[in-house]
Amino acid sequence: MKVSLFVTCLIDIFQTDVGMDTVELLERLGCEVEFPEKQTCCGQPAYNSGYVDKAKDSMKHMIRVFEQADYVVTPSGSCATMLKEYPHILKDETEWEARAQALANKTYELTQFIVEVLGIEDVGAKLKGTATYHTSCHMTRLLGVKEAPLKLLSHVEGLEMKPLPHNYNCCGFGGTFSVKMTPISEQMVDEKVQSVEEAGADILIGADCGCLMNIGGRIDRKGKPIKVMHIASVLNSR
Amino acid sequence: MAMKIGDKPFKERVSDGINDAFMRGAVASAQGRFRSGRLNAAEELGNWEEWRKLGEEIRSHTIENLDYYLELLSENVIKRGGHVFFAKTAEEANEYITKVVKEKNGKKVVKSKSMVTEEINMNEALERAGCEVIESDLGEWILQVDDHDPPSHIVTPALHKNKEQIRDVFKEKLGYDKTEKPEELALFAREKLREEFLQADIGITGCNFAIAESGTISLVTNEGNARMVTTIPKTQITVMGMERIVPTWEEMEVLVSLLTRAAVGQKLTSYITALTGPRQEGEADGPEEFHLVIVDNGRSNILGTAFQSILHCIRCAACINVCPVYRHVGGHSYGSIYPGPVGAVLTPLLGGYDEYKELPYASTLCAACTEACPVKIPLHEHLLRHRQEIVEKEGKAPVFENLSMKAFSLGTASPAMYNIGSKLAPTALGFFSADDKISKGPGPLKNWTDIRDFPAPKKNRFRDLYKKRQKGGEE
Amino acid sequence: MMAAGQMHNRDSFLNDLAKSFGRERRRQVKKPEWTYRPQWDVLKGASQDELAEALKKQCSLIHTDVYETAASELGGLVKDLVQQYGGQSVVMWDDPRMDEFGLSSLPDELTKEQVAVHIWDSGKREENLSFSSTADIGITFSDAALAESGTVVLYNGKEKGRAVSLLPAIYFAIIPKSVIVPRMTQVAKQLHLKIEAGELVPSCVNFISGPSNSADIEMNLIVGVHGPVKAAYILVDDK
Repeated sequence: MKVSLFVTCLIDIFQTDVGMDTVELLERLGCEVEFPEKQTCCGQPAYNSGYVDKAKDSMKHMIRVFEQADYVVTPSGSCATMLKEYPHILKDETEWEARAQALANKTYELTQFIVEVLGIEDVGAKLKGTATYHTSCHMTRLLGVKEAPLKLLSHVEGLEMKPLPHNYNCCGFGGTFSVKMTPISEQMVDEKVQSVEEAGADILIGADCGCLMNIGGRIDRKGKPIKVMHIASVLNSR
Repeated sequence: MAMKIGDKPFKERVSDGINDAFMRGAVASAQGRFRSGRLNAAEELGNWEEWRKLGEEIRSHTIENLDYYLELLSENVIKRGGHVFFAKTAEEANEYITKVVKEKNGKKVVKSKSMVTEEINMNEALERAGCEVIESDLGEWILQVDDHDPPSHIVTPALHKNKEQIRDVFKEKLGYDKTEKPEELALFAREKLREEFLQADIGITGCNFAIAESGTISLVTNEGNARMVTTIPKTQITVMGMERIVPTWEEMEVLVSLLTRAAVGQKLTSYITALTGPRQEGEADGPEEFHLVIVDNGRSNILGTAFQSILHCIRCAACINVCPVYRHVGGHSYGSIYPGPVGAVLTPLLGGYDEYKELPYASTLCAACTEACPVKIPLHEHLLRHRQEIVEKEGKAPVFENLSMKAFSLGTASPAMYNIGSKLAPTALGFFSADDKISKGPGPLKNWTDIRDFPAPKKNRFRDLYKKRQKGGEE
Repeated sequence: MMAAGQMHNRDSFLNDLAKSFGRERRRQVKKPEWTYRPQWDVLKGASQDELAEALKKQCSLIHTDVYETAASELGGLVKDLVQQYGGQSVVMWDDPRMDEFGLSSLPDELTKEQVAVHIWDSGKREENLSFSSTADIGITFSDAALAESGTVVLYNGKEKGRAVSLLPAIYFAIIPKSVIVPRMTQVAKQLHLKIEAGELVPSCVNFISGPSNSADIEMNLIVGVHGPVKAAYILVDDK
């Protein structure tokens, strides 16, 4: 199966390991992975700040880049959600709406793709530790992917999963919210870090680099002994 | 009190909220209870999504045909001997209400809970005309006794106060001498307010749902104060925002079911009271005279725009009760009697961006509000839409943001520019990083690093590593 | 029939709305058939006994006592309950169902027990209100009852004052089992059909579910605020 990877800008620049883990994982599961080099960003930073026209430019670029792909897979619930939103955002531009819809239809978040398309729940990963999983808002509420990551994690050998209290709470990232409304964001991320501590886990797993940079950045600042991992890296642990 | 509450700028209001430990504790525990109540009630119904879709369909049809249904409603009210006043503005509404009260020689007005009368600042207008206005909802009464402290929630307005504070207010203002037990506080209120109900000349209510087909107004309450207000005084005035209407009793029933479940997790509140006109001939209680005041006050500007569905709101506060931002900053931070996500959408529409441009940004777009809304209003999308209006139509975005978004657009719409930009990132930020972390960032990154570390960009981007790997594979 | 009321500013107001919509005023609108009708599935096909059970179960959640009796025993039970709840004064509707359910002698019997009794008198507003306001117990029949929510429905009117179920400290509702329906849906439908047939709806319809309450102080449930502080339903087997 041929898969086109949309790696997301955060991973491209900051979390390169997560990108490599995603490639290795998909290949190990029998996919042929290609990386269209012209890809940039899903447009969310501009879109969520109200710069819809500017976002549209990058959206259209992304539609072109992935036009030939069979499946577009991305290790981010939030960016997958954004790609799925394209037809809605471009609904007044008939030609683009159809092309956007085609992209939306073949776009999958990584864990969703593994469980729903590949039909795999045990990827043969091994990782020792006690972990909890952060359900990011866009992935659960807007994309509707709730079970897939938990199913996959439940099969990781050696990994004990603990429930995260108040898992429905937002971590306070919210893209530019984190720098525009820092005092509020701080309260939210502190609440999340506290929940992670209450979970009694030494690893926090998530499927969105935005949330993980936020929670992880706060955990590091506070010097808490909790490791933050993207789910792609967990599933690629052997 | 008008829609606007307090004079402090947004940042200060937020900081006051964050530093109010009791308020935050109270709000967090209330949110927990509201949340489980709502979820249990929804689960008990089983097909909550169908209910929500039905609610959405009803609200959408009704608002789309609002002129028709308001005409029908008003026709049926006057048929039953009630009077109807259509008020374009707050001033017109207050003028009419004051005139009615004066004509009746009304001295004492008892009110049941109503957001729209707060919005139009009715109490003050009546007080200026020499009337005593008494709030009778327990929460509203507590706030009124406490020198008109503003409400912080649309269903439980005194949510920010604890029982000790309430005891002290009653003690200082009314000579209360019992404990802070909620039952004792409530009994005191019952006794005090019972006298007022019996003496009042005029009763004023809000309206949850007006029923067009019969000219009926329905009130959804638990305490029984709205029944008092519509049983004892000889004149009743009901004030409704023009969107508070349904076609028939059948839709009223559905929306009441959604409202009580979404608001407090109850199957029904203790009292649903459906009133049609003044009392009929030969009836001994209920008002002799009934006036319905239908208020626009800026709502019609929302009709026909992309924001129209905010008028579907049934004021259940479910969005407020799940909002993480509300939990941390409290209701007063919004600077409006309409707080939380619904407030962040509605307040700028009614009060303008000059006063309220920060509100649409006070959200992570986590969509908990949209998920909770019993009539499926896409609240987080409306917040986005506001941001768009502020940036594109109003040109009110900060200069720096404008520039960086221009750069964003250049960088992401063109792979060549992206390539250069992303390649430069480690160099540009390298200066600030120690090891692989940035703890004191430049520009907007400073706000980030004020509270958390930021990963330093990698020397090799993913795309560089990928390319190397591909080459390696070929070898 | 009452004289019609006055209308102010309607046309300019509604014309403005039409303008905002960017269309003409709508003079005829047909309400669509709604796509979903989940409200009709609640307690669908339940028998009267099952409905009564559902109602009783819900009452246990809303701080409402429930008693059951055969029609022939009703008078005795109500009298006992008045005493059990410590009622020194009782106000009741002037309701033809009193005779139907064998309660015609109840007022006299209560009076004999030194209980002050007031029967609603549509000609005497002040007397009705002042008695009700200090009465210990108000008693009404229920015109319909909703199993799902433990609700009694009152069509108030001339002999059926609003205050009886509101001002006294305790409220008793007598519910003939035959009037129980699954939920508010059925009552709303009935009223809707009446209106379509040109009938008038009562000036005040109350849906009452237990005693008054409030959660305005720290979200603590307080039972008994402005309305009755206690409520009891008496289910009568009338089949």
